[in-house]
Amino acid sequence: MKLMKRVMAAALAASMAASMSACKSQAPAGEAAKTETQAQETSAGAKETQAQTGDGEQVTLRFSWWGGDSRHAATQKAAEAFMAKYPNIKVECEYGAWDGWTEKCATQLNGGTAPDLMQVNWNWLYQFSGDGSAFADINSLSAIDLSGFPENIVNQCVVGGKLQAVPISTTGKCFFWNKTTFEKAGLDTPKTIEDLINAGTVFKEKLGDDSYPLAMYQYERMLLMLYYLEAKYGKEWVVDGAVNYTYDEVKEGLDWICSLEDAHVLPKIELLLGDGATILEKNTKWANGKYAGFYEWDSANTKFVEALEPGQEFVLGDFITGIGEYDAGLTKISQCFAITEASEHKEEAALLLDFLMNDPEGVEIMGTERGIVVNETAGKILVEKDLLKGLTYEANQAVLGVANFTFDPNFENSELKDSTGVYYEVFENISADHSTTGDMAQYLIDEIERVQMENPY
Amino acid sequence: MQRTSWKRFWKANNGYLYLSIWLIGFFAFKCYPFLSSLYYSLTNYNLFKSGTQFIGLGNYESILNTPKYVKAFVVTFQYAFMTVPLKLLFALFIAYILNFKLKFINMFRTIYYIPSILGGSISIAVLWQFLFQNEGLINMVIRLFGGSPINWLGSSKYALFVICLLRVWQFGSAMVIFLAALKGVPEDLYEAAAIDGAGRFTQFMKVTVPMITPVVFFNLITQLCQAFQEFNGPFVITNGGPQGSTTLISILIYQNAFKTYKMGLASAMAWMLFLIVAVLTAVSFISQKYWVYYGDEER
Repeated sequence: MKLMKRVMAAALAASMAASMSACKSQAPAGEAAKTETQAQETSAGAKETQAQTGDGEQVTLRFSWWGGDSRHAATQKAAEAFMAKYPNIKVECEYGAWDGWTEKCATQLNGGTAPDLMQVNWNWLYQFSGDGSAFADINSLSAIDLSGFPENIVNQCVVGGKLQAVPISTTGKCFFWNKTTFEKAGLDTPKTIEDLINAGTVFKEKLGDDSYPLAMYQYERMLLMLYYLEAKYGKEWVVDGAVNYTYDEVKEGLDWICSLEDAHVLPKIELLLGDGATILEKNTKWANGKYAGFYEWDSANTKFVEALEPGQEFVLGDFITGIGEYDAGLTKISQCFAITEASEHKEEAALLLDFLMNDPEGVEIMGTERGIVVNETAGKILVEKDLLKGLTYEANQAVLGVANFTFDPNFENSELKDSTGVYYEVFENISADHSTTGDMAQYLIDEIERVQMENPY
Repeated sequence: MQRTSWKRFWKANNGYLYLSIWLIGFFAFKCYPFLSSLYYSLTNYNLFKSGTQFIGLGNYESILNTPKYVKAFVVTFQYAFMTVPLKLLFALFIAYILNFKLKFINMFRTIYYIPSILGGSISIAVLWQFLFQNEGLINMVIRLFGGSPINWLGSSKYALFVICLLRVWQFGSAMVIFLAALKGVPEDLYEAAAIDGAGRFTQFMKVTVPMITPVVFFNLITQLCQAFQEFNGPFVITNGGPQGSTTLISILIYQNAFKTYKMGLASAMAWMLFLIVAVLTAVSFISQKYWVYYGDEER
């Protein structure tokens, strides 16, 4: 028994010693990596040549993005093609779904452990790097060619005096309809506000109380209200950190949203929440055609199509007219790629970025997985390959034709947009009680201006 | 000579060496974050903004002056004061039944413990969402009996109840502790009560309950602490809505810390929550001399 104990103790001690030595052996490896980096940094020019020719020392890049399965597959394939072209650069991919991704990236950026190359949202540049400390200045990197990018769009990524990211695509809000449901109601898809109001009445009479021509949750209602206000008054929502609409105008917008509920165009928010889904594409009433339309980003239509039960036709709609004299198309930079300031391999990351954005092979593989590209060089490649087609492209072209408005950097600030944020509070409250639009209009203005004041840009 | 003194020293102090691993973990991962969060709560620390300043009780004032935050504290109290008594009563009731000598009693005990194994996990929260949605199983049953369906998740009147029910459903741990306590009640007390003419209910109220008050007290404290820290259920099932009716303070702590990166404000909220739980625990401890019977003391 004693002997057994001794043997076990010896075995345990040996395993502990082994694990400690393993830890020890990692340290010099880390040191070696540091030394390697330092050596590379001392000869930046040489390093770039090495990377481009594939003769350089082995470098490992971390590359992260969020998205769905098809985006993951395309981006991984592009990373593999890059590694085949530059054998000295290994790309480690980190990807996942959108849920929780912002928190993960925020923690990584704050802790200095973010990947070398990241897919980022445009407003992250302001939120995470308002002073320019989180992301590298793309202009200081020679490996990326920006000649194909429209200057006005690239300039929107200049934050804190640095070009902190390269825009991938722009996206705009469009109306999409379930044509099959409209046909069941004996209607064409709506083109004017009168058509839409009429559809509410007809849906109720012919398809039942639980059928609605339009279904939108809290944040989307905010965007729909902007569509109404901008079509009517032709003004940007926020200018110089202040809401550019009067209290009466904002109240009018909120009242208009309530009037859509009264006209059976929009279901009440409590009904949508009671369906057990907080996003439309997961709502069974969208899948079975009871909810027949929405106002969404052009690049987001695929997930709605995929959620539909078979036998239903999904179409891009016209921009609803009859509200006012202005075209109220709303666009924004949908996504960007940024190289982190903490990266030890910025030039190699820029090389990967250039491959994804400009190289014919990379561009073809990436396709329109992140929306319609803004880079004209990539656009030409995609046209040559006949890859610029489909509903996303059509929708993008349609919205660009009427695009007069965009966002301020704080529009999607978490304090406003997230589930306990101001947009949710306002639209849940007015939906539950239409008489609160006055109070909520003032609250919306006050809170937006508070957020603007706390986050100057 | 030296070797002997070293041996003596080792013999007298080697316990500290073994303890040191736990102590390092405690100081690094409990003590330091605990105290640093107190400091942060007195600053305007934001993860992505430079120039952190000491603002004294500014965050605490801001919380008390913001209706949304005050409402979240009220909802948290409602949640805790609904779930804790309900869960304790339910756990005690089931434990009492499972204390009878029934056939297949071990199987029943296992079955009743299963919800606690599944716990408040994300998958169970999603299941809850499916059960209580407009077209879910609960409304189907209501319709079957001729009732009108209820908008459980969309109505601010019912949503908190759904969240509470999820916690009450996880009564297994409290039940097991109650069961152990019930088994510890001496049989001769019941025999004496029966001879005095006490029925089942009187025996329960006059013998069982007083004898298990230390365990009731223990369960009360643990359940109270857990209820005030609840996060998963409301976050997954209702995301704090509708109209903030299920926005517990833990959700706002998360939102402020990891969505808007206001670590100072989030720390202040966490400390307010801690103080509330501490006060309630202290009150419970003080009150125990009036209602908890330990058996080894004069009353």
